[in-house]
Amino acid sequence: MLHFILRRVWQMIPTVFGVILITFVLFNVVGGSPATMTLGKHVSPRALEEFDEQRGFNKPLFFGSWAKTRALAAETFDHGAGAWRASGEFVAQAGLRLTNDTVVPLAFPLQATNAYRLTLTYRLAAGAGAVFQGMGKQPLAGSPSTPLRAGKAWQTVALDFRTGSQPTATDLVLRVTGGSLDLRAVKLQRGVRNPLDSQLTFYLVQLAHLDFGESSSLNQPVSVLLKQGMGPSLMLMIPILIGEELFAIVLALGCAFYRNSLLDRTLVVISVALMSINYLAWIVGGQYVLGQKLGWFPVWGFESWSYLVLPVIIGVVSGLGGNLRFYRTIMLDEMYKDYIRTAIAKGVSKSGVLFKHVLKNAMIPVATNVVIALPFLYTGNFLLENFFGIPGLGYLGINAINSSDVDVVRALVFIGAVLFVVANLVTDLLYAWLDPRVRLE
Amino acid sequence: MWGDAWQQLRRSCLALACLWIIGGYAVAALYGEGQYLYYQWQDRAAPYNETHLDLQYQAPVLAHPFGTDGLGRDVGTRLLQGARIAFQVGIVTSLIAIPIGVILGCLAGYFGGRTDDIIVWLFSTFAAIPGLLFIFAIAMVVGKGLLGIYLGIGLTTWVNLCRLIRAEVMKHKARPYVLAARALGLSHGRIIFRHILPNVFHIVIVTFTLRFSYAIGTEVFMSFLGIGVQGEPSWGLMISNARLRLWYGVWWEMAFSTLAIFVIVLAFNLLGDALRDALDPRLRTREG
Repeated sequence: MLHFILRRVWQMIPTVFGVILITFVLFNVVGGSPATMTLGKHVSPRALEEFDEQRGFNKPLFFGSWAKTRALAAETFDHGAGAWRASGEFVAQAGLRLTNDTVVPLAFPLQATNAYRLTLTYRLAAGAGAVFQGMGKQPLAGSPSTPLRAGKAWQTVALDFRTGSQPTATDLVLRVTGGSLDLRAVKLQRGVRNPLDSQLTFYLVQLAHLDFGESSSLNQPVSVLLKQGMGPSLMLMIPILIGEELFAIVLALGCAFYRNSLLDRTLVVISVALMSINYLAWIVGGQYVLGQKLGWFPVWGFESWSYLVLPVIIGVVSGLGGNLRFYRTIMLDEMYKDYIRTAIAKGVSKSGVLFKHVLKNAMIPVATNVVIALPFLYTGNFLLENFFGIPGLGYLGINAINSSDVDVVRALVFIGAVLFVVANLVTDLLYAWLDPRVRLE
Repeated sequence: MWGDAWQQLRRSCLALACLWIIGGYAVAALYGEGQYLYYQWQDRAAPYNETHLDLQYQAPVLAHPFGTDGLGRDVGTRLLQGARIAFQVGIVTSLIAIPIGVILGCLAGYFGGRTDDIIVWLFSTFAAIPGLLFIFAIAMVVGKGLLGIYLGIGLTTWVNLCRLIRAEVMKHKARPYVLAARALGLSHGRIIFRHILPNVFHIVIVTFTLRFSYAIGTEVFMSFLGIGVQGEPSWGLMISNARLRLWYGVWWEMAFSTLAIFVIVLAFNLLGDALRDALDPRLRTREG
């Protein structure tokens, strides 16, 4: 048994790692930095950079020595001069044309004593000279005291330099003399000291400290928000789970008892119909009928336990259909087995058979079903919480999605997945404990 | 198997009724698509989007058999457009989920070993993430609108299909006809796609039918919460609009949208069950 447990725990690890990887790919790789989404479009690049810095979005994704920086936006001069408007002239098909000393338009000062790389795709007219310099009038450390080469063809050069101890936004200069320098592409990258310092390692380290980041819309650490929200969610979901399972089992037992009678067939039809009614209809209908028209229950808020009654009722009724069908199928499958036939032949009464044999053996799938449903308790029920104003994790999640609050959503997804994996493990162990045949495989 | 299943299906009046209903909705959806494209082509605002404030909140009458909504738009034509969007979502998400699920399932079931381990790891990971939350997260990352819905629902529903196909392919792999094909020297690809796949295809049909209703339902939620379709009338948006009016006794918009959704979801569910019973009753205990 211990061997079985250890084996299952061992198998759990790649899945958890897979979940970490998926959340990373979804939020960091695909999503990119949510800075513009969260802070808005009319924010200075410096504020965006600080946002990125805090959450580690300005590091390379997986591995690398060069990272992005917002100090100078990467330009390809397709449609206009962009940030270089004041410095040079936009020429169609040629890009940006610089004819005299130009200050590189940085949005904010670069980081002190850090390596940077400026990549230029340029074309220097014959007879002209161009040098890249920094720190006012000094030549820069590194390669670029070499002047750029003249020629008819476009050339790309990567100019590495280091910033001094007190950099300003007007440090970098392109000195052009005697002609024109055409730029087709400009890119500035920040050197990263440690190539392993990437977004992935940042994320892993955060997780290792159980630090889920900070909510950008509520300005609170996510772990605090999670703790606050968990209580109301559980208070809502546990009664729903218990109610659903109890009613479904009782009704399924009834179906099995009165197999193929009118009751059985009506219940089947009703459960399919109940399953098909959209959840929204349940909620709105319930709110309208029981809350507004009959005025029995309060509709919004979380003042006392009476506010939970209506959502619990709606939750139970809507989930009843699916669960009833499932349990009925299981019970009927049990009823057709050989040992039941033997029991009936032996003279055990029908109710005896039901309660002593069928129920016990049908409990195994029931137990696994309940355990599988557990992780979903914690996300609360998005719709119920949203409609009834219950401040649980579902409510938190919906608000986070609407305000593009990446940290919160990522934390919810990650924790949900981990809980699911753990619940699976518990289910397997439970199954192995209840059904010895499973252990032997 | 197919002929037999069709016979069984035809005998059941319920299944036939469902087929008719689905067919009806499909025709409505096509008509809605035609309407949409027509107005796109003409570059005009479509009548179901135009507001006529003087016609607000009219109860069902002959001219507007389903009434008008808060901006005076005819509920009936908007329902048709909703059907169009629902079918679009169902079809596109199936087009995303089915190839992924089938190919990965076949590869995992047939080749076993390392490939199987990797694919099982992949779908366990996807399955571990709470479904609705995952869909919302994808929609949040990709951006609002239909693309988010397609990717979100598509990338989460392939998992179950993959699991079922993998199990079936593993069973078929041990059968004599596959061994015979190998002995004949047929290539792996040919065996999988021309011999095994037709025998497991019924799973795809059943899953498609059942997942279609799930896709429609999820799209309704998402549009309701504002994450989904913008601008175009969708059933979820209509319910969202109708919700507030309910207190004032304007029942028709809410009732008819809910009814429209209910009927099509019910039809798909019943049809899916009937198909499952006809094609492979062993699949029953799985999805309950």
